[in-house]
Amino acid sequence: MKSRLLAIALASAALPVFAGGAADDIATSEVRVRAVPEGQKNSAAFMVLANGSTVDHAVVSAQSPAADVVELHTHVNDNGMMKMRRIERIDIPANGQTVLEPGGLHVMLLGLTTSLADGDEIPVTLVLEDNSLLELTAPVKKLQMMMQAHQHNNQHGGTSTSD
Amino acid sequence: MKRRFLITAILALAVAVGGWAALRPDRPAALDLAEPAGGAFTLNALSGPVSLADFRGKVVLIYFGYTFCPDVCPTSLALIAQALNGLEADELAHVQAVFISVDPDRDTSEQLDRYTDYFHPGIVGVTGSEADVADVATRYGAAYRKVEGESAGGYLIDHTSMTYIVSADGSLVRTLPHGSPPPDIIAAIREYLPEST
Repeated sequence: MKSRLLAIALASAALPVFAGGAADDIATSEVRVRAVPEGQKNSAAFMVLANGSTVDHAVVSAQSPAADVVELHTHVNDNGMMKMRRIERIDIPANGQTVLEPGGLHVMLLGLTTSLADGDEIPVTLVLEDNSLLELTAPVKKLQMMMQAHQHNNQHGGTSTSD
Repeated sequence: MKRRFLITAILALAVAVGGWAALRPDRPAALDLAEPAGGAFTLNALSGPVSLADFRGKVVLIYFGYTFCPDVCPTSLALIAQALNGLEADELAHVQAVFISVDPDRDTSEQLDRYTDYFHPGIVGVTGSEADVADVATRYGAAYRKVEGESAGGYLIDHTSMTYIVSADGSLVRTLPHGSPPPDIIAAIREYLPEST
């Protein structure tokens, strides 16, 4: 499995990314996947999605060979009760950006098919509203380092509060 | 006409407020904003039973979560781990963190041990029967609820994400909000560390 993943990762890194359509308008940065302890079934991918066009776009689903199921999720802080919910789409407004980060929007990886150790890489594909594909190679990072690296982005407020 | 509308609106508001006040005494006790009492508990770790009393003389951090928890719990445990890493060695010797799983159906002792150890060896993972866990959670002011059908990966659990600080004599002294940064956690720990450290 690992070698297959590696092969896919290398292929997607080496070949020009197949994209087109809405995917062409989206620039990604700070792509990373949470490293998890051995035996963990779930993890999540985070990133910043920037839409350089004058048209609104949206991620409508995601895929990865590293998990049985990949879903789009968000968190709601409902009076202190943390609720994780599956969502249909992640909007990326025209000339704007959407931040996927711990405690907020994320690409949820359910039923991991591989271990996710710090330093690994996994392929993640985002499907845009016109079915164009945004293929990413996501480095696996241990969260503590991620949080330090990401502290400057706190103003984006990934955790929404409904009260 | 305008005035009549205003009177109607005021009357409607009065009825609504009156109705709310009349209903209020029926609210369940769990929603009362009484200070949680905390207190003693014994739950199970991989190494055997763990009681709060085992940690007398230490400041204890308690967090309720579950290992399937994909984001909130790892984030919180990483914050606690960073706080523990920020303590001096003699301070750390007087601190214990406890991760209480609210998902005893899925969280085996082995899984809990592997999970907490990944974040910091100073965190012990414990759980117990559903009734025992619910009792401890209620006394500390934590809440959780199983949610079916939200995700293809099995049920999720909505839960509060506070860190409870228990002083060296076993009293619940502080509740830190979700996402408290490591410096806040360190400050709270230091406030309650025994004098000798």
